[in-house]
Amino acid sequence: MTSSFSLRKSQLFVLLRPGFLVGLAILLSSIALALFPSFFAPFDPNAFNYSALKQPPSAEHWFGTDNLGRDTFSRVIWAYSVNIQMAFVATIFALIIGVTVGSLVGYYGGIADAIFGRCVDAIITFPFLVLVIAVVAVLGPGLTNMYIAITLVGWVYYARLMRAEIMGQLANDYAAAGKVMGYSDRRIIFRHLLPNAITPVIVYWMTDMALAILLGSSLGYLGLGAQPPQAEWGVLIAEGRNFITTAWWLSLMPGIAIVLTGLGFSLVGDGIADLMRPRG
Amino acid sequence: MSSLSYFISRLLQIIPTFLIVMVIIFLLVRALPGDPAIAMADAKATAEQLEQIRERLGLHEPIWVQFAYFVKNVFTGNLGDSILMKAPVTEVILERLPASGFLALYAVLFSLLIAGPLAFVAALNRNGWIDVGIRSVFQIGLSTPVFYIGLLLLTFLAAQMRWFPVGGYGTTFWEHMYHLLLPALTVALYTSAIIMRNLRSSVIEVMDAEYVQFARAKGLPEHVILGRHILRNALISTVTLLGLSIGNLMSGTLVTETVFAVPGVGRLMLDAIFARDYPLIQGLTLTFAVLVSLIFLLTDMIQAMLDPRLRVS
Amino acid sequence: MKKILMATVAATALMSAFPAIALERGGSLTFARYDDSTLIDPIYADRNPDIWMVTNLYDTLLRTEADGKTITSGLAASYKVAEDGLSVELTLRDGIKFSDGSAIEGKDVVFSLNRAANPDLSPWAGLLASIDNVTSEGNKVTIGLKNSDPTIVLMLATFNTAIVSADAFESAAGETDQDKAKALSMEGFVGSGPFVMKAHQRGSMMQFAANSHYWREGEDGKPLPYIDGINFLVIPDDATRILKLQAGEVDAAEFIPFARVSEMQADANINMELFPSTRIIYSPINTRPERADGSANPLSDLKLRQALNYATNKDALVQLVLHGAGKPVSSGLMASTTQLATDNGPIYQYDLEKAKALVAEAGAEGTEITLTTLAGSADDGIILAALQQMWSDIGIKLNVEQVDGPTRGAKNRSGDFDIHTYGWVNDVNDPAQVAGWLGYNPTAKAVGTGWNNDEFNSLYEASNTEMDPAKRAEQYARMQEIYAAEAPLLFMYETPFAVALSQDIKGYVQTPLGNNEFATTWIDR
Repeated sequence: MTSSFSLRKSQLFVLLRPGFLVGLAILLSSIALALFPSFFAPFDPNAFNYSALKQPPSAEHWFGTDNLGRDTFSRVIWAYSVNIQMAFVATIFALIIGVTVGSLVGYYGGIADAIFGRCVDAIITFPFLVLVIAVVAVLGPGLTNMYIAITLVGWVYYARLMRAEIMGQLANDYAAAGKVMGYSDRRIIFRHLLPNAITPVIVYWMTDMALAILLGSSLGYLGLGAQPPQAEWGVLIAEGRNFITTAWWLSLMPGIAIVLTGLGFSLVGDGIADLMRPRG
Repeated sequence: MSSLSYFISRLLQIIPTFLIVMVIIFLLVRALPGDPAIAMADAKATAEQLEQIRERLGLHEPIWVQFAYFVKNVFTGNLGDSILMKAPVTEVILERLPASGFLALYAVLFSLLIAGPLAFVAALNRNGWIDVGIRSVFQIGLSTPVFYIGLLLLTFLAAQMRWFPVGGYGTTFWEHMYHLLLPALTVALYTSAIIMRNLRSSVIEVMDAEYVQFARAKGLPEHVILGRHILRNALISTVTLLGLSIGNLMSGTLVTETVFAVPGVGRLMLDAIFARDYPLIQGLTLTFAVLVSLIFLLTDMIQAMLDPRLRVS
Repeated sequence: MKKILMATVAATALMSAFPAIALERGGSLTFARYDDSTLIDPIYADRNPDIWMVTNLYDTLLRTEADGKTITSGLAASYKVAEDGLSVELTLRDGIKFSDGSAIEGKDVVFSLNRAANPDLSPWAGLLASIDNVTSEGNKVTIGLKNSDPTIVLMLATFNTAIVSADAFESAAGETDQDKAKALSMEGFVGSGPFVMKAHQRGSMMQFAANSHYWREGEDGKPLPYIDGINFLVIPDDATRILKLQAGEVDAAEFIPFARVSEMQADANINMELFPSTRIIYSPINTRPERADGSANPLSDLKLRQALNYATNKDALVQLVLHGAGKPVSSGLMASTTQLATDNGPIYQYDLEKAKALVAEAGAEGTEITLTTLAGSADDGIILAALQQMWSDIGIKLNVEQVDGPTRGAKNRSGDFDIHTYGWVNDVNDPAQVAGWLGYNPTAKAVGTGWNNDEFNSLYEASNTEMDPAKRAEQYARMQEIYAAEAPLLFMYETPFAVALSQDIKGYVQTPLGNNEFATTWIDR
């Protein structure tokens, strides 16, 4: 049995493409910043400093200070831990639930699949953001509730993809062979079908992580995600918004952080997609 | 299958989906925490006034009775009164739809104008520096949140350079065009990045296809090949993609309307969320769902028209 | 009370308000608002964006001057309160007209006041509970009272008693009074104020035009208003409102965030106005012996509440949140601009030692308290961060719970909170409304704190029928004393109304109650 994880030599060159390398560098440094913010940030991100209000970038305050004298560089760094966390926490549960449900309905089909199909149709009838903010409204604004909302809506997309892939795999001979050999359903699904079907889901997961950062910061900006005074890029931009003409650094710096990180995720995602995509 | 019967079967498919949509909305709105009566009343209202509001909203009825009322109300177009606007929800939404519709169409137009030519240029210069340049710019566009693009355009092109008004909608058609130019561009930058990507690969795919190679070998002029094979396929894939990204487009307009103070349904949705305006949240989610299904339907129809093979499946 | 004639008083007041600048008429004003009006009607206005607009469209029988305290004449040229305090007689001005040209008569006043005092219609009827009957004869209107009411005269200068046209309501489409009010607000508007409603696009735009039949005269001897009309644009986002003002797209923008006041002040093209207001920002403290979950409530201990108040550096809060554009409260019960407010300087001046001693006495070191704040509010974020820092000095750990506005309101009602941020602006000129809301338990459990003080309650009840101004002032002084000592609130600060106007806009006023007054606004072109 061949797994699509096995790589042909030609595909490995993807890993040497400048785009992928740049993306990887951004991603790894983002994760380092997210894991050890206190090591990189020179100041306490929430400490007020009345003697340094709205100071432009300087040697002491690289990204300047805000209207309460907080060091913007430190706030942007501390926000890494929140925003990188978003990429994982907002997607991982959706991935797990989606893969499980998608595999099961894909394999067993029947009534469960029919009901699932209708539910998916219904859920994708809502614009993603509309449903997410409606769920946030139910749960109340805040980071944890935002994760729950994104998971509640997002798993459907994974499940739909997983189901289609499993169905595709079922058409292959080895699934039938497994049945003939009397393997348990669990073994067929998780040992045989899943490893082969999961590649596109993993590729989608990479893009989804980049999207989760964008979505999370948008909700933070709108006041529905992370809450001030917590440092989060969307919140920082919203806070800096009032001073965009007089203290541009407040909203510019966190914006650059979002774009860079998003770019890192999608470049790496593209690389992995190329790597895993079977070549004809 | 004829076009008509395809259309009818496609319409019938919507019915069960829509029932589930209504269940979702109903449960969502019932699940909103707190007491709708308190949300509706003024902070200074007495307990007695609150009781009257509960009575009027039918909050004492069992849940299935409330759902039956809800379904009946949806079909009679009676969605109750908005707490925030103190007016019928249907009326409020209808007032706000034109601005959002204008913005969405404007954005689609921009997306096509931006993505179309660039996709061809990129595809024809495959892997050349123009291609890489175009794709890099769009890659950055895809990594930038919509609200941030909007904020930058608003601050620099409107507030600093004074080339455009700082948000708003205007009253006449040309004022709308002028006021919504930056918001439409904001939404379009994101959508066009997605369209550009797919269009580029679909153009490349067709260019590499055997029948095109064959046509070329036969000596057909390039513009004929372009017109007959490439454009037609590009059109089909673009329509499909536009249809699929309608949800994305609406999410984009929601955020953009907030940034640019455009009086559309997107901004209304956020206002309703913050004010816990239950009837309005319910009406708006329903409106979004109806709009998306209609667009999906329309996409399918156009696709079927462009590509008759699809009707059979 | 003596009969007071005031027609001349009003004229001189206007003269003094305007120094000798060459006044210009005409032109229209574009005004950026933070929120839209829904229904501008004297009795159905229940949110600030509605209430604050009423008197532009409907005039009241009496008026207050810009200080919000001194009473002057309005549609009524004079008034007289009977010796026994059980009736008020008013004389209507001659030749006053509604915006459709019809005369404003006694029957309109009777209709308007009955409507305003009808508890089935008006949410504000409680403020007019003393009214027994209203009758008119010629240009005389008599209001009969069930009991003496020290607030009635001020109430006749308040938005909810503004005069509407009885005939217009009679002929308006609709079943109920509210439907009729809605119909009137849209087409065929008839009002008695300086402006008429011309167009309204919900949530985005509203237009007022000058009422050519308005009676009050301007400085130049011709009828007000000076301007031809007002275009209101609804722009909820603070930053966009200011950008529009800076770009010259609007002439004025209200609710300027305090963080940006100094920037506006520095701008030569902008006139940054800070109008004194009755707005106070405070945080109710749950004083019940038990929390909503049944656990013991440490905040029921007066010493801990006082300790928190002493440990809160209000001057620092004013600097942090308002950037200096405000001041710590000097009466816990009301803003210093409210009538009968006592002023003995800021209360609970920051005193860390006293706070520590009180915490020790209460045995409350290490207590954990939760502050409920408004989600998405930058101000609340700052307050939270500051209080966490300040209270850690006395060994109190402050946690946070962030909710949206309606949820916060529901928590306040059910007592499911420790401390939460809140604010208040008076709707009427008399202190009875705010004192009832903040302190009198039967009204709203003393802003949800559950605080219930017998002496305070009986003083409040007595003051509501006390006709001797000196005695009433004494009662209010004592109530404020009790309230401050008992500390059912975390006392914070009062803020002005911050409105930024283009330099050529003159004479715009926002009263301490928040009313946007455009009647005497003019444009220097």
